[in-house]
Amino acid sequence: MTYDEFREEVRKLKEEGKYPSLKSYTLPALWIAEKNFPCIDHEVMRIISSELGVPLVEVEEAARFYAMFHTERKGKYVIRVCTNLSCMLNGSYSLLEELERLLGVKVGETTKDGLFTLEEYECMGLCDGAPAITVNEERFLKVKKEELPTILKKFGWKGD
Amino acid sequence: MEKLLLRNVEKENSHTIEVYLKGGGYRAFQKALKEMSPEDVVEEVKLSGLRGRGGAGFPTGLKWEFAAADIKEPKFFVCNADEGEPCTFKDRVIIEKDPHALIEGMLIGAYATGCRYGYIYLRGEYPIGRKILERAISEAYQKGFLGENILGSDFSFDLYVHSGAGAYICGEETALIESMEGKRGEPRIKPPFPVNAGYLWKPTVVNNVETLANIPLIIERGGKWYSQIGSPDCPGPKLFPVSGKVKRPGVYELPMGTKLEEIIFEHAGGIVKDRKLKAVFPGGASSSVLTSEEISVPMDFPSLAKAGTMLGSGAIMVLDETDCIVNAALRLIKFFRHESCGKCTPCREGTDWLVRILERIEGGRGVEEDLEVVLSVCETMENSFCGLGMAAHNPVGSTVRKFKEEYLAHIKGGKCPFRSS
Ligand SMILES: Cc1cc2nc3c(=O)[nH]c(=O)nc-3n(C[C@H](O)[C@H](O)[C@H](O)COP(=O)(O)O)c2cc1C
Ligand code: SF4
Ligand code: FES
Repeated sequence: MTYDEFREEVRKLKEEGKYPSLKSYTLPALWIAEKNFPCIDHEVMRIISSELGVPLVEVEEAARFYAMFHTERKGKYVIRVCTNLSCMLNGSYSLLEELERLLGVKVGETTKDGLFTLEEYECMGLCDGAPAITVNEERFLKVKKEELPTILKKFGWKGD
Repeated sequence: MEKLLLRNVEKENSHTIEVYLKGGGYRAFQKALKEMSPEDVVEEVKLSGLRGRGGAGFPTGLKWEFAAADIKEPKFFVCNADEGEPCTFKDRVIIEKDPHALIEGMLIGAYATGCRYGYIYLRGEYPIGRKILERAISEAYQKGFLGENILGSDFSFDLYVHSGAGAYICGEETALIESMEGKRGEPRIKPPFPVNAGYLWKPTVVNNVETLANIPLIIERGGKWYSQIGSPDCPGPKLFPVSGKVKRPGVYELPMGTKLEEIIFEHAGGIVKDRKLKAVFPGGASSSVLTSEEISVPMDFPSLAKAGTMLGSGAIMVLDETDCIVNAALRLIKFFRHESCGKCTPCREGTDWLVRILERIEGGRGVEEDLEVVLSVCETMENSFCGLGMAAHNPVGSTVRKFKEEYLAHIKGGKCPFRSS
């Protein structure tokens, strides 16, 4: 998405008339950016600030506060590995280690080809399927270490 | 027991309005709209004895009465679908499998309190739920249950989904409202309560998903009928998400007051590999731990409070004899450190200190005095600004008190006794 297209999207958002106050469009606008840019950068924040009349610092604070917004470049696919209690008890840390090994990155990093970002994540409400991981919006439940390569390949992983 | 909250979830396409209508859906709303005044609805909900399922257990009818009495306009009705308490996944089942029950509950609540606009604050981690809810809302508009002059009445109500973006604190109702206003989720001082000064400082009702899913049942069958289910001082059906080391993790609907032991052993199938049960957090990560001797407790707000813990979200987290209690407490306090909004010192610093001390103990580098320090930090955290900090120390303080031997074993042995290497 270009910055101009993004500005257009934010304008369309305002026209929906969903909120009686412009500042409430901040999170919806940040969501559009999160989904369409590799990261929420300063230009994106400036556009939101000027379109919604919200001080730039408040937009930036919001962008940095929420765990699902990336203000640093992320990969095409974000892998979230839940390590909260039920997933931990069911082996999530070994999944995390295996993914680090397969992808050759540490938690929080993005692969060189820009395909995957690996994140350790808090409970995603999928605990009946522990250990759970998600890749962008897709969820994988009761994941076994051996299944990880197959899951990665689904998203274009070239390793073996 | 007859399934009430989960009556629809097994049906094919239970999330569609056709299936919901066929099962008698939206009848309760029509009854409220055509045969009852808003005051009647509030009275019926008061009579039911329903207490909020979001964690605090506040009487729903009373909350609605306060909101109805405020004359500022417009008023907002917000469904709290942030479901961030670790190991809680009960609201997800309603959202994905029975979204119309939630919408119907909101409609009835909005009618009773005079709210014109509604928002479902949905956690960002539920993208599938978002699609399902948006579809359900548009179906409800098409059938004339949402919009202006609903079913030819004077009542108008518009409903939208608002997506959160990954912040547990936004489940706290005032932080949720800050977040709806586009800001970081930091709690506001109470009072004023949201019912008088919430979103944009206008009267705002905030109710949990499960709370709202009870409403159509209460209106259809009556508050008196409802008040006779489960514990007399805390009635109704309750959704219990059970996870951890049980054979059949899942969401179980049982009457309030069902014994914890029965839920774990009869419904969730007992402990994996028939191991021994070691410990249970009975109400999410914010609750104090119970030992295997304490699990005959009835699962409702007053009984668990009496047992020194809490019902919270009702999330039952089960550990078996091979799990390390120090490591479990450490993982939970790490969660709270990550989620602390940083506004007040006891919580921001307290969670950090607890993580650092527990990391040391877990790594075999602790000293006995650490346990005293831990308990005093826990006590200080009681003075936190909001419920997050006030409860975050519970898993740590309670495990130090009830599993002191295991902490000492780490300290004296210089390593975690559960780790092979
Ligand atoms: C730290 C914290 C997190 C909370 N998270 C949630 C949540 O995820 N969902 C929820 O319904 N209530 C949550 N609550 C409780 C809400 O503040 C509020 O009491 C509730 O939404 C009211 O609805 P109810 O009366 O229907 O329970 C949380 C409270 C605190 C202090
Ligand atoms: S208790 Fe924690 S989450 Fe609540 S206001 Fe203080 S720092 Fe923020
Ligand atoms: S603990 Fe992992 S999804 Fe809940």
